[in-house]
Amino acid sequence: MQYRPLLVGALALTVALAGSSATVQPAAAAGDTIVFGSPISLTGSLTKEGHLTQEGYDFWKNYVNAHGGLKVGGKTYKVDIKYYDDESKNDTSAQLAERLIDQDHVNFILGPYGSGTSFTVAQIAERKKIPMVEGNGAAEKIFNQGFKYTFGVLSPAKRYLEGILDMAHSQKPGAQSVAITAASDAFSQEVAQGAAAWASAHGMKVVYNNKYPDTATDVSSLISALKQTNPDIILNAGHVQDALLVQKGLKEQNVSAKGYGYTVGPDTPDFVNSLHADANDVFGAAQWSEAVKYHADRPGFYKTAPEYARAFEGVYHHAPDYHNAESTAACLAFQYALQNAGSLDPEKVRDALQKLDVTTFYGILKFDSRGLNVYKPMVVNQIQSGKLVTVWPRGLAQAAPKYPAPPWGKR
Amino acid sequence: MRRIGLGGITGSPYAFAVALVLMVLLLAIPLTHNGYIEIVFRGILMYATMAYGWNLIGGYTGYVSFGQVAFFGIGAYCSAVLSQMGVNNLFLDVLVACAVNGAFATLVGLPVLQLKGHYFAIATLGIGLAITDIIANLDALGGTSGLRVQQVDEAHFSVYYYAMWLVALAAMLATFFIARSKLGYAFVAIRENEDAAAVLGISPRRFKITAWAISGMMAGAAGAVYAPANGFLDPSIAFSADSNVFPIVMALLGGIGTVAGPFIGALILAGANELLQRYFIKIHTLFFGAMIVLVVLLLPRGLVWLFGLKGGARTWLKSLTAYKA
Amino acid sequence: MQLLAQDLVNGILAGGILALVALGFSLVWGIMNIINLAHGAFIMLGAYVTYQLYQSFHIDPFLSLPISFVALFVLGWLIQRYLINWVARAPILTTFLLTFGLSLLIVNLALIVWTGDTRGVTTPYSGANFTLAGVTVPWVKLYTLLTALAITGVMQLWLTRSKTGRAIRATSMDIGAAQLSGVRTANIYAIVFALSAGLGGVAGTLISLSYALTPTMGDPFLIKAFVVCVLGGLGSVQGALIGGLVYGIVEAFATQIDVTIGTQHISGSGLQDAIALVVLLIVLIVRPTGIVGKATA
Repeated sequence: MQYRPLLVGALALTVALAGSSATVQPAAAAGDTIVFGSPISLTGSLTKEGHLTQEGYDFWKNYVNAHGGLKVGGKTYKVDIKYYDDESKNDTSAQLAERLIDQDHVNFILGPYGSGTSFTVAQIAERKKIPMVEGNGAAEKIFNQGFKYTFGVLSPAKRYLEGILDMAHSQKPGAQSVAITAASDAFSQEVAQGAAAWASAHGMKVVYNNKYPDTATDVSSLISALKQTNPDIILNAGHVQDALLVQKGLKEQNVSAKGYGYTVGPDTPDFVNSLHADANDVFGAAQWSEAVKYHADRPGFYKTAPEYARAFEGVYHHAPDYHNAESTAACLAFQYALQNAGSLDPEKVRDALQKLDVTTFYGILKFDSRGLNVYKPMVVNQIQSGKLVTVWPRGLAQAAPKYPAPPWGKR
Repeated sequence: MRRIGLGGITGSPYAFAVALVLMVLLLAIPLTHNGYIEIVFRGILMYATMAYGWNLIGGYTGYVSFGQVAFFGIGAYCSAVLSQMGVNNLFLDVLVACAVNGAFATLVGLPVLQLKGHYFAIATLGIGLAITDIIANLDALGGTSGLRVQQVDEAHFSVYYYAMWLVALAAMLATFFIARSKLGYAFVAIRENEDAAAVLGISPRRFKITAWAISGMMAGAAGAVYAPANGFLDPSIAFSADSNVFPIVMALLGGIGTVAGPFIGALILAGANELLQRYFIKIHTLFFGAMIVLVVLLLPRGLVWLFGLKGGARTWLKSLTAYKA
Repeated sequence: MQLLAQDLVNGILAGGILALVALGFSLVWGIMNIINLAHGAFIMLGAYVTYQLYQSFHIDPFLSLPISFVALFVLGWLIQRYLINWVARAPILTTFLLTFGLSLLIVNLALIVWTGDTRGVTTPYSGANFTLAGVTVPWVKLYTLLTALAITGVMQLWLTRSKTGRAIRATSMDIGAAQLSGVRTANIYAIVFALSAGLGGVAGTLISLSYALTPTMGDPFLIKAFVVCVLGGLGSVQGALIGGLVYGIVEAFATQIDVTIGTQHISGSGLQDAIALVVLLIVLIVRPTGIVGKATA
């Protein structure tokens, strides 16, 4: 009888079993702690954004624990968050969500970063009937599936570039033509479609509308074709890398438009640090900025955006961007819903979330019947002299928008 | 020094017996009522199936393919499309996936299998990538947004586990019977010396295409069960780099060209991946890379071969320098 | 018409860089018969070396070319000598997986050192351009092309004229005969791999001027390197150059395909990867030795 194969087999099975049952910590103590689970992208293509999300979550957790915990239904709880790394992969995120629920017995789910991952995790939340709030997946398709257990605190994807178009359209003379370039991922495509639809509906002509793969290394020919159409506004829906490629490319080929707008990019310090003066006068779409003038109508957290920003910067040594803020907002939704529900029961909390209506430093947290926050407007920022300022909507603006942008070489 | 062969045609028979016993043990997994453990083992069975598929074309026939993920993805999309049309039957899903993949493999195999060595590997890599892009651009298949696939409810969810188990078992048994049949000998003959095989009356073209078609069907069947189990499909999920690389590393780790190898490799690699995730949350990919490097350097023929080796440690050490420049 | 001319220029400018990327990759593949999947990681390291030098010491990227070359040359030598050498004559599966694992290692180490933040190298002269006959040419891209051409020219001369260069070509043609003539193949392999890494580093430096830096930035270039190598012909300097230019031009023209049939948008730009890969497959089947067509082992 050969023992070696038997050993190998036993070894293999042991490794597999040990791995699959390994938990991050012993099953969540139901006693005094509310445990949230969150699969986020700590590695992979969305590493940076995943870290921003984690910062937003942890900032809230530390605040709550330092201020006496969360009082729900007469009992006071501490708060904890369990993380796993989904490597920026959609199905990994879903599997980790299942792990958090089945293995680590978390009470609720805080969403991952990204539309793709949010979608797959939402499916799990639905199947397991565990409420999930996310602040970083804006694709509307997540909310068109009839899910009852997923709520998004952020404005939907198709509205991302509306603010910029609205601003440009309202100027005298208003912008007439728009060129749109978008990366081929689901979120960027939704943004592009939303922008094109809004533009057409408001009498602006979409003169160019094309996409490029995420792996594009050169967009010069795209820009050459775009240049021919002479647009007033050039919009890009993509990621930081594409934003840099496009902005550099526009300068290189002397494409002067009256306004440049990006979904992602201007709001990240990387954009200004990489492009220096070439980043000036560019508009960025943001879910939130430090300049918004909301005033929280319930106690339990910072009341205004500047307060939040100052405290955040004290801890993390960088100003919070909207990814941080929307992640914190997701936690706040849970905070107030839990207090309203007065219990940790998933069904009661879910109902409380559906009925939630509260104003926070981030804006209004209220969900339509699909679970999407259609009540909060997008904010438009502009880089002016190297600094990011909020320029739209007028009620929230810190400064007037600089439009039209001066041609290249005169910044 | 003993020539480093590929552990015979079936590998150690005892290893195969052990593998079968393990498979039977795996039937008990759903009894733990732990959704996550079920996911991990379902994934093991899925990767094992794909490893068997790769093993057939890469291990037995010697044509190293880096595009098996194309078949997996096509199989998955077959299920998704059927679901969109209202058909939600796992048997039909697997059948259609096998049919489509068999046809696809044959069609593409006709030109591509003429290539040898590196060129074949690159061509298969290209096919995998091209299919991903084309589907990502096809709105009819959901583009980059993907498709939702109908799932059974939570109470009956284990049906996907059992389905994947059946598919893996089929792959394992198929490999076993093929290895002992004339088909298996034809494959190995092609691997060892294609021209000599042709002279002896084995038509390389026919057998290569057969090997690739069967291998594609295995990967496709795994994909067909995966799609409804996951509930959602998009190009990044259907054609992920993981699905491409994992089965190959598993086959290598377990033992290429053996019958028990791919399964053993799948168990160990998946378990190791989970453990790394647990203990090294931020740097697990780093360790995974290191693991691949070590496996390649230290286990050139896989564990099953290693543990069936006569002469033990010394022969193993000698084998490490077999390929030095 | 003007658009076509602009596309042609865009394509050539982009192709120069691709040729340089493919050159190192092609040498290792053609001469050592190893497909180095870590080549993308070498490119990335070269880019980060340039970034760090620019950020910390304000060294102009073009001046950092020799530094990134030397740094990557040394790294490549060490990797070959102490890692790849063990499996230099192994079947392709082994080397493929080894370099894949190596790539994961390097990329993740970079992730730890530099984090996932996106960086860029923007010099004061970035974006400057001139217009000739209606075609706009960015200076940086032009300099990049010229540098790439210069380096390929130097490589070609070195391979054909120098003693080591001839030894390398001899090894690739017939290793047995080369050894009989006194060529130390272990050394040759080390030099070739180190050279390839160095070339990758240099390509990375030039790429950093236009492309954003992240630890995974090398991946898209690696895939294009595959196509360029096969297109042009393995192990040949002219092959890499011609393949790169052809690829760049094809990609530029493909971007102009922009039609919508019903609701299906057929975008040449969106499909550029698929187009490239289909070209790869066609070339492999019809003429595997590529345009320049050097016979390989």
